[in-house]
Amino acid sequence: MTYIMSLFLFGLVLGLVAVASNPSPYFAALGLVVVAGLGCGILVGHGGHFLSLILFLIYLGGMLVVFAYSAALAAEPYPESWGSRPVMVYILAYVVGVVMVSGQFWGGWYETSWVPVDELGELSVLRGDSGGVALMYAGGGGMLVISAWVLLLTLFVVLELTRGLSRGALRAV
Amino acid sequence: MTPTHFAFSAAFILGLAGLAFHRTHLLSALLCLEGMMLSLFIALSLWTLQLDSTNLSASPMLLLAFSACEASTGLALLVATTRTHGTDRLQSLNLLQC
Amino acid sequence: MNPIVSCTLLITLGLGTTITFASSHWFLAWMGLEINTLAILPLMAQHHHPRATEATLKYFLTQATAASTLLFATTTNAWLNGQWDIQHMTHPLPITLFTIALALKIGLAPLHIWLPEVLQGLDLVTGLIMSTWQKLAPFALLLQIYPANSTLLIMLGLASTLIGGWGGLNQTQLRKILAYSSIAHLGWMILVLQFSPALTLLTLFLYIIMTFSTFLVFHLNNATNINTLATTWTKTPALTALTPLLLLSLGGLPPLSGFMPKWLILQELTKQDLALTATLAALTALLSLYFYLRLSYALALTMFPNNPSGTSPWRLQSPQIMYPLALSITAALTLLPLTPTVTALMMP
Repeated sequence: MTYIMSLFLFGLVLGLVAVASNPSPYFAALGLVVVAGLGCGILVGHGGHFLSLILFLIYLGGMLVVFAYSAALAAEPYPESWGSRPVMVYILAYVVGVVMVSGQFWGGWYETSWVPVDELGELSVLRGDSGGVALMYAGGGGMLVISAWVLLLTLFVVLELTRGLSRGALRAV
Repeated sequence: MTPTHFAFSAAFILGLAGLAFHRTHLLSALLCLEGMMLSLFIALSLWTLQLDSTNLSASPMLLLAFSACEASTGLALLVATTRTHGTDRLQSLNLLQC
Repeated sequence: MNPIVSCTLLITLGLGTTITFASSHWFLAWMGLEINTLAILPLMAQHHHPRATEATLKYFLTQATAASTLLFATTTNAWLNGQWDIQHMTHPLPITLFTIALALKIGLAPLHIWLPEVLQGLDLVTGLIMSTWQKLAPFALLLQIYPANSTLLIMLGLASTLIGGWGGLNQTQLRKILAYSSIAHLGWMILVLQFSPALTLLTLFLYIIMTFSTFLVFHLNNATNINTLATTWTKTPALTALTPLLLLSLGGLPPLSGFMPKWLILQELTKQDLALTATLAALTALLSLYFYLRLSYALALTMFPNNPSGTSPWRLQSPQIMYPLALSITAALTLLPLTPTVTALMMP
């Protein structure tokens, strides 16, 4: 388990390197999908099954699908994947940077610091995260109202930003 | 600093560096923003899980709601700039310089 | 834009700032900032021309980056200390990150590049909201950080006053000049933040009054560059006589109320044994004064070549409401005699 968790953490950082190194958008979207999947794995490993499910359904299933769709619309004739030279330079720079910084902290990490907290706990029916959702619906009224209002507001914002029949590429300003 | 803490901090800073340095497409800048929000979501969830604090485990979900709002607004702006500028390359956003 | 939608957006803009004011928990403060950003975006892009859209996009990218960096700083603080309260920041690393994030949010000097460009793309009323109301929520957070990173704040403040003066020198666009003036004023506020938060608040208050009247004057005259200013005497002669005084008040000349914050800040810095910093700040204010003087010159001392019918629009009644402008311009010019009262109220 410890081995898998460290592999997941390693993959998380490497996935962000893949996103940040300026490839074409659909490769970046692919990298982000991998990162989100690994994030689900990390959360499950730490005992947050419900949060992991939320991440999988909302983030991966809701938002990243839209991003992948937009990336597919923005296709370009000569895409740059991670193999091409300028992207490779960025990847190398980022990896070297991460390795150097982690070298600073390497001495402080020992065997048990990789162990997720959840492995040391006992098996219980009521997990912290799903209990927290019940608590959010029971006592977190104000926050829920604010979040719902913001989601509604975003609908207006998106409609206002994109609406208009006469707003093509050619028109009088 | 535990390895977990280091991992999500590194992920966030990589996303920030990717956003700040060279971006060709607006869409990949938005993807970097999403990567930053994802690492923040993981950080908040792991914090509540490690401390077993039931009270704060709603905060990752609220964060996810807000980051969904941000993402959709970003995509709406992508559509708007593609309409006005004809492309989503960040180099073409130079009307306001002087 | 539909008036109901725009009313909803304005109310939500107020809601975001209010949430940030009321919060003692970092997460809620972050939510307030996000609501604020989301609500102003359609107002910025309401005319949908390419420059407005581009300004909206630039504003969105910087604000989203700043907000997520802010949340990262607070999450790091929670991992290191286990604290979410705004008042309980003790570790220096989150404090530094947080200060940098807020500097990006309000546009302090090394992170200021977006502000002139964004302001240039907006109409003057939205620009007014952008340079006054949008500064309130970040300042409410900055004022609550107690063990501030003092070197960083001094560096940010000095760089802002310098660049705010320097960048405005070569501009002919009024909105860019106002953006640089905003950067310089924010630099003065940040300079004194760690010594006397009350003084920062006073400076912010006076800055808002002066910027409010300046934007309204330019809006009244429909002026977006210096050339247009030369014809304002044909539209509103009385206001044209007052506007140079208003600009000099922004520059901080003695008999006007803009002098009060600069005077008190210089006094406070000298008291803290920072005579060199105070001298540098006062010298960089001269750079800002140069472009305020140039605007005043174009307004009051030049005659634009004009045909006879062009000199008569001052007979027409303006349909705009003048009372807010009258109040704010009076306050922006004549508040200096209140200085002893203000000092007595602020520093008990």
